Amino acid sequence: MSINLFQAIILGLFASLSSMPGLGGTSIGNYTLGRPLIGGLVCGIVLGDIPTGIMVGAAMQVVYIALVTPGGTVSADVRAVSYIGIPLAMIALKSYGLDPASAEGTALATSFGTMVGTIGTVLFYGTATMNLIWQHMGWAWVDKREYDKLPLVDYVLPWISHICFSLIPTVIMCMAGEPVVNLIKEKLPMDGIPMKTLFTVGALLPCVGIAILLKQIVRNVLDFVPYLTGFTLAASMGINLVASTVIAGMFAMIIYKLKMLELRKPAAAASSAAAENGWDDDEEDI
Amino acid sequence: MAEKKLSKKALSSGFHRWYYGNLTCFSQEHMQTFGYLCSMLPLCKELYADDPDKMAESMDTYRTFFNTEPQLGAIIVGVTAGLEEARANGAEDVDGETINGLRAGLMGPIAGIGDSLVVGTVIPILLGIAMGMSGGGSPMGAIFYIVVWNLFAYFGMRFLYFKGYDMGTKAVEFLVGDIGTAIREAVTTLGGIVIGAVSATWVSVRTSFALYNEAGEAYMVLQEKLDSVFPGLLTAIFVIFCWWLMAKKRFSPLKVMGLLVLIAFVGVLIGFFNPGLSY
Repeated sequence: MSINLFQAIILGLFASLSSMPGLGGTSIGNYTLGRPLIGGLVCGIVLGDIPTGIMVGAAMQVVYIALVTPGGTVSADVRAVSYIGIPLAMIALKSYGLDPASAEGTALATSFGTMVGTIGTVLFYGTATMNLIWQHMGWAWVDKREYDKLPLVDYVLPWISHICFSLIPTVIMCMAGEPVVNLIKEKLPMDGIPMKTLFTVGALLPCVGIAILLKQIVRNVLDFVPYLTGFTLAASMGINLVASTVIAGMFAMIIYKLKMLELRKPAAAASSAAAENGWDDDEEDI
Repeated sequence: MAEKKLSKKALSSGFHRWYYGNLTCFSQEHMQTFGYLCSMLPLCKELYADDPDKMAESMDTYRTFFNTEPQLGAIIVGVTAGLEEARANGAEDVDGETINGLRAGLMGPIAGIGDSLVVGTVIPILLGIAMGMSGGGSPMGAIFYIVVWNLFAYFGMRFLYFKGYDMGTKAVEFLVGDIGTAIREAVTTLGGIVIGAVSATWVSVRTSFALYNEAGEAYMVLQEKLDSVFPGLLTAIFVIFCWWLMAKKRFSPLKVMGLLVLIAFVGVLIGFFNPGLSY
């Protein structure tokens, strides 16, 4: 499997749309096209192997399931993860002849993708810094009351930043990826320590992604109970994800009703107390 | 003078500009400021069509730094659209300072709720379901996510924007009030359970450690022992270990990843981890 220039440019365009300050907008760009699972579908279509793309994307999605903000909680950039990491991981899987659905395939894809994603933070800072130029021009136009030029600053000029820091880097890295992957394969045998470590890291990395998400939900140890319940549903009882969500929805409904009862009760108690007081006042008046 | 009323068209244009452009020209210095300016532009143009000085005064209000969770933040943009209309009608208690005070006061709490509820819970739940539908490389899951998430995001943001415009700050009270709190707690539990199922399905940390008798037969396979206690125990331990490092020891995610590389390396050396591959 290799990537030709035309395919690389399409991937580069998707990278421009999908990054955190991406030109697809927040909901469509970052939170749809930027998610590795969707990136996997796009890369699968572009490279002509949808099942491999989806499997690699899903594997990488676990690592980046939480809030991904470059320079913030996760030092990664979704455009690099989804449109450089996934295609390279796909090439690596083909080159090593691994089944993308196997644990080894997932581990290899995850290590490759995460490495690229971490390096991709540079692209984020590049884009954000270059946007300062357009914003500087924007302030000048606001001062001169040329407000009609504002959409140019917000919607058009950032394309230049993205051509420099999303499109061109994606094209270069995707095109250069195949020889690099082959070089790694030649120099580092799979049963050697470095590759064994790489595969093991790939299996461990998703734990970080899950843990980042748990950091937002778990405040004390008791909050681990829902998490472990879900874990038990899938690992011990073999219930699939969609069915687990239905069970989870049942628990959520119970909690919502309980919480509403708890919140409404003091209010109801307060109003009845006020009514009693009112009664007392009346008596005193008499 | 007739009371000025924003047209449906101007409001709709203001909404779409926010929906699309809230972060398109992002820099660390101004973040969503330009997205905000562009969103208010059609509204200000309509309200102050005949008065360039008032137009400039109004646009200057939105030069102030703004950053929040942009999707839930649509409600703030809606609230300011309503306030701007009131200011154009000469409301005495609405000036640039009150509008900016309100924006600054709301952007923090809305960012907190939006990051934990929308980005930290709703999106992972949808992705979890989508991954469940991706077995064997099927594109069904990805298509499910694209459709459901985008309908939810577009109509959700539209609802919030117009609620903000109609009800003003009362709309925000709904989010932080009783019903909002109850919904948040319920959705957080839902998220916790789904994430548990996602990690049991998609994360697999396994050890190759075993003890052998003199005949070379393994009499103690650690992975089997651990799984007989709680299936997937080692995976759960590693997830909780990572959580503990970040939540209690204040490790950055990158530092945790570095530590995992070290653990993997040492684990491979002592034979605790072995992917068992060769070619």
